[in-house]
Amino acid sequence: MLAAPIPPPLTLGDRRRPGWRAWALITPMVAWLLLFVIVPTAILFVYSFCERDEVGGVIFHFTWENYQRVLDPVYLLIFARSVGYAGLTTIICVIVGYPVAYYIARATEERRNRLLLLVMVPFWTSFLIRTYAWITILKQEGLLNGLLQSMHVTTGPLSLLYTPTAVVIGLVYAYLPFMILPIYGSAEKLDNALIEAAYDLGAGPLRAFSAVIVPLTMPGIAAGTLLVFVPAIGMFAITDLMGGAKVPMIGNVIQNQFLQARDWPFGAALGVVFMLMFAVTYGILQSRLARPKS
Amino acid sequence: MSLLPLRSRIPSGLKLLDWFLRGWTALVFIFLYVPIAVLAIYSFNSSRLNIVWENFTLHWYARLWADGPLIQAAKNSLLIAGVSTFISVVFGTVGAWLLHRYRFSLARSIQTLVAIPMVMPEILMGISLLILFATAGVSLGFTTVIIGHVTFCFPFVLVAVQARLQGLDPALEEAALDLGATPLQAFWYVIVPCLRPAIVAGALMAFTLSMDELIVTFFIRSAAATTLPIQVFGLARVGLNPMLNALSAIFIVATVAFVLFSNYLNKLSRR
Amino acid sequence: MKTLQTMLLALTVLWATVALPAAGEVNLFGWSEYVPQEVLDGFTKETGIKVNFESYASNEEMLSKLVAGGGAYDVVQPSDYTAEVMVRRGMLAPLNFALLPNRKNIAPDLLDLPHDPAGKFTVPYMTGTVGIVVNTEKVKTPITGYRDVFQPQFKDRLVVLNDNRELVTWVLYSLGLTSSDVSAASLAKVRPILAAWVKLVKVFDSDSPKTALLNGDVDIGIVWSGEAAILWNENKKFKYVLPVDGAHLFVDTLCIPALAKNKAAAHQLINYILRPEVSKLISDKFPYTNPNLAARQLLTADQLANPASYPASGKLETFRDIGKAAAEIDKLVTDLKSAQ
Repeated sequence: MLAAPIPPPLTLGDRRRPGWRAWALITPMVAWLLLFVIVPTAILFVYSFCERDEVGGVIFHFTWENYQRVLDPVYLLIFARSVGYAGLTTIICVIVGYPVAYYIARATEERRNRLLLLVMVPFWTSFLIRTYAWITILKQEGLLNGLLQSMHVTTGPLSLLYTPTAVVIGLVYAYLPFMILPIYGSAEKLDNALIEAAYDLGAGPLRAFSAVIVPLTMPGIAAGTLLVFVPAIGMFAITDLMGGAKVPMIGNVIQNQFLQARDWPFGAALGVVFMLMFAVTYGILQSRLARPKS
Repeated sequence: MSLLPLRSRIPSGLKLLDWFLRGWTALVFIFLYVPIAVLAIYSFNSSRLNIVWENFTLHWYARLWADGPLIQAAKNSLLIAGVSTFISVVFGTVGAWLLHRYRFSLARSIQTLVAIPMVMPEILMGISLLILFATAGVSLGFTTVIIGHVTFCFPFVLVAVQARLQGLDPALEEAALDLGATPLQAFWYVIVPCLRPAIVAGALMAFTLSMDELIVTFFIRSAAATTLPIQVFGLARVGLNPMLNALSAIFIVATVAFVLFSNYLNKLSRR
Repeated sequence: MKTLQTMLLALTVLWATVALPAAGEVNLFGWSEYVPQEVLDGFTKETGIKVNFESYASNEEMLSKLVAGGGAYDVVQPSDYTAEVMVRRGMLAPLNFALLPNRKNIAPDLLDLPHDPAGKFTVPYMTGTVGIVVNTEKVKTPITGYRDVFQPQFKDRLVVLNDNRELVTWVLYSLGLTSSDVSAASLAKVRPILAAWVKLVKVFDSDSPKTALLNGDVDIGIVWSGEAAILWNENKKFKYVLPVDGAHLFVDTLCIPALAKNKAAAHQLINYILRPEVSKLISDKFPYTNPNLAARQLLTADQLANPASYPASGKLETFRDIGKAAAEIDKLVTDLKSAQ
């Protein structure tokens, strides 16, 4: 699982040294990152070493205390749980989304973009309205329970809403397009002849698929994993609405520090550790993957 | 001779796979559209609280038409998402290409930096951007909201395009260069068309993310730059009424109709 | 390319429709959906002053945005304990009573509360309580206090506010303490009780706890009185009970930030809202308790009969800011919820 959320590795096949033009072109993006990613992160970094005053303000007085509190097992457990949910969501999204992406990629050109758009359109409603629609479906006297009972599959209403199952359904629903689209992006260039070639070599349909097609679309799967797994760790709105907010996620904990507890320095420390852990893991995976190729 | 039985086996195997893919995709589309169908049906529900079905009514569509702030928020959201997507696509595509094509000394750090907004909790991004804008004396409004949205949207475009770039034949660009194209021309006329599927995918993701963002937007907006999610979230306190379902239904039906209709137009023009 | 051009054109058109003129304006930062649009329109029509309304969904969001340096607002709408923080941080300007003649309409006991003695900085907008709502079709046992709610027989039949301070306060009340009694010793007493309570809850929801009740997923809730009033209007089976052990009275206020640019218009707007006939419009839309006694006389018998909006008097207490203990409470509740 860990090997997946990495960027497409930087293959060094035929890459050039950047001239001034290349630098000039990449400068706006780098400047943007500096201004709107590094500077805000630096602000948080400073805050994370400060103290909270009596009325919830920030005193610029150096302390390690916030970082000591981050290491409390309570928060580590919550972090592990969030990663668990994100991991499960990612796996289900790959399984559910891959065939769809592949199917769309092989459709005729005029259908492709339309199908792609149709994957995304449901998400142009507000998150809250979508989630309430799911609540209508899953609630005790809801549509799914009604359907199951009228078909005599179940006798009494099942408790579906406010369970971990509901949370996973909600998460998969929310993130599925972010798996399908990148996989589509890399599967679209595959040649149908490849599968046929595999057949000619005597492979069954499933084997041809798993041995030939899947490896070739690995960059798409890796990108999709990155786009699903990483944002899903911090997600808590769905968990709260569909799961009843019974168990806190790392996103809840961070948000609460800024809102309910009004302890900005501790919230900043949690955030900094969270981002650092991600950056380090990501960096290591990147260099691991780049090394054997160079 | 042995080729014949083999040949006859191939289509059936392929067909099986094809049927499976088709069926699976259909199921997934049902999964994606079931909640949408539900919310569309409930937009005709006379019950104000949108929870128990009462009677059929068109009342909410009329109410929606008259609700200035909600319509304005929807317009704002479309505008912000449109502009943010456009900038994100430019940044994401150009950035991905440059990182792929050239050996920048800080490539790996840039790569990690790009991914940070994806992992940064929304509230941290919202508050820290607000502190930044307030310190710099930038007044809040559409510009600040778009800046925020681009920051968390463009990494999605970049990652999608990078996945596509991998395995792209380097000979493509070289051929173009050999034929006398400038690097810029080679990028625009050869590389971009090649990347189009990933660019489209990235743009769709960026647009969606921007349309649905709540927390970052809350901190860096002004009164005028209210977006739809903020308006919707506020309504939850008094009960999400079917007016919002009506708005969603109109929006989705319009988009889907556009998709299907343009398909039909295409067919006509090809005849 | 065609599509791209069309899209860019559409964007330009949209851009043109959102550009706003700037004339005599007042910036209101208020709860979303709490100030009816017709009130703002009426004010603009009468005075010619345009109201720029920016909304928030919680006190904490509003405070964070102000603290981080966002926006220049002329009127804000904090609840009691948040207003207290703002006063203590010097974020509010004292009110000029001479410009607020309609302040006399407000119930006098609400103009002198611990969070703002003598009402120097704030004037009540709406008030409400946090109480128990019971689906009497499903629950036959009498419910009078918190301990009756958190019973093993109601496991997975409860919805409560997703607010750490509230949760702890209910335990404190059931122990006969006050909401500000958050010493380490008190919290140690709270802990085991809350640990048991948290396990019984099916849904924690502050934004719309009525949903779970209306859907039939739960039968008892501890919710804002406004939510309970909406439920009662929907179906009389939802009964509102003020817990005998004590209940949280909240007072949403109107006040003027120290940094406000247009304090004169701010006073004008507040005074306008305090008019009986204007205040009545708010009651029509939001079934909270109207502190405006003159406005209350304009309400229908039906509105006044709603037990959640106008409950028989009980043991009520407003929240005070509890300083650093807020962090302790957050940790305690997070810990208990996580340990389930």
